[in-house]
Amino acid sequence: MKKEISEGRRKLEEELRNLVGNIFVPEAKVFGMVCGCVGFAVDLRGLQYDDVDVFREKISAIMEEISKSVGVEPEFVYARNLPGSEEVVTLTARELCERCKREFAESKAPPRPDIVVLKKKRWK
Amino acid sequence: MPRFIVPHPGHFPALKEIIEVKEAENLKEVEGVFMGVMGGSLEVMGSGRGVLHAPLIEEIREQTEYAHQHGIKMNIAMNSTCLGGHHLTFEGYKMFEWYFSELNKAGVDGVIVAEPYLVELLRDFPMKTTISVLSYVDAPQRAKFFEDLGADVITVDTNINRHFELLKGIVKAVNCDVRVIVNEGCLYRCPFRYFHYNLASHLSSLNQPRSPLFAPDYYFDKCINIRLRNPTQIIKSPWIRPEDIKEYEAIGITCFKLSGRTKAVNWIIECMRSYSHRTFKGNLLEILDCPQMLRDMFYIENEKLEGSIEQWKRCKKICNECGYCDKRTQEVLTYLK
Ligand code: SF4
Ligand SMILES: [Zn+2]
Ligand SMILES: [Zn+2]
Repeated sequence: MKKEISEGRRKLEEELRNLVGNIFVPEAKVFGMVCGCVGFAVDLRGLQYDDVDVFREKISAIMEEISKSVGVEPEFVYARNLPGSEEVVTLTARELCERCKREFAESKAPPRPDIVVLKKKRWK
Repeated sequence: MPRFIVPHPGHFPALKEIIEVKEAENLKEVEGVFMGVMGGSLEVMGSGRGVLHAPLIEEIREQTEYAHQHGIKMNIAMNSTCLGGHHLTFEGYKMFEWYFSELNKAGVDGVIVAEPYLVELLRDFPMKTTISVLSYVDAPQRAKFFEDLGADVITVDTNINRHFELLKGIVKAVNCDVRVIVNEGCLYRCPFRYFHYNLASHLSSLNQPRSPLFAPDYYFDKCINIRLRNPTQIIKSPWIRPEDIKEYEAIGITCFKLSGRTKAVNWIIECMRSYSHRTFKGNLLEILDCPQMLRDMFYIENEKLEGSIEQWKRCKKICNECGYCDKRTQEVLTYLK
């Protein structure tokens, strides 16, 4: 697992650099939340909303691949903006608990304005 | 008829979804929405709560038009508690005046402010002026001050949500509407409140501290830890159960506000449903905003709280001589495993 996380961080950084240019990925982590969600998340510098919009599918595909490699089923993949700005500060792939499926993934709208949904599994 | 104003996270698709549910489920009492604005649209203005979206005037105009087509009022929250004095400079004054006139042209129905100077500035515009909960109106005298400054609606300090004599006194003292926030779970008489909102106001504006904060979550962490060590504080918080709204109507309060504009849209919709239907089954913490995290630590069986309002309506809030809330905590609250 340690290897996969490090490798995932490196790979994402490399792929994003190929796609958009000078991107820095200072941290990648696997997390578990009290509600039952588990996920894989990376912190980012240099990525902007427009890049994510243009390369939506590619970025999602990379995140899904890394997420699977660390044992997380990427049911819900999203980017988070720094509120009120164009800067994208995290990418997350999450395997959702029942409550977060309802609250986070079942609305037609993105759950919050700072979240850009890249991929959402259909449960219903 | 009672009226509810519900939070809008800010992005257009969320507004559409809130309105869609309101219409599909015929939630007639939902009168309007409110959303925050920040830096992107207004250079120095922050907001009492965090803001996750920066709608520009054009977007506000489009959203307002859409809301109006569906009979929903649009309110803009600009309830920063500290503007760093900028509003009292000539440029600041000009900027606020310009911004208010743009909001007005965009068709916005009301503006929520905390700052008295802005309350006065808003007199020049037909939009309704709502006094924010962050103006801490906790007595008839203070309510009167704000009404005289130009308030059309006063949101009372949540600290007096269970002080019925004061609420009655305020309703009597002013002619404007009196509004209560129903689902805020902040600590009763929280020692951090003023400071935390000042911090939030700065952090959501361009009036930033000079170097990065090394303890940005100080207030929040303290607030959670106090309750972990003493869960009675959760019971004493001035939230209002959906079932208890009628007690407020009985004393002449007909405006209710739901808190939670930084939350997920489906969470907001669930709260809107519960309060519109005046009933909720399950963990009360599921519908309380601020801090939401508590719902993963504790379970408060809402049904078991039936009738507690009778005590809270009367109690003198001298808790060390009372102990009622401690007893209730034992009966209704469990720790989640
Ligand atoms: S006085 Fe009693 S009922 Fe009122 S808040 Fe304090 S402990 Fe609760
Ligand atoms: Zn979850
Ligand atoms: Zn200040």
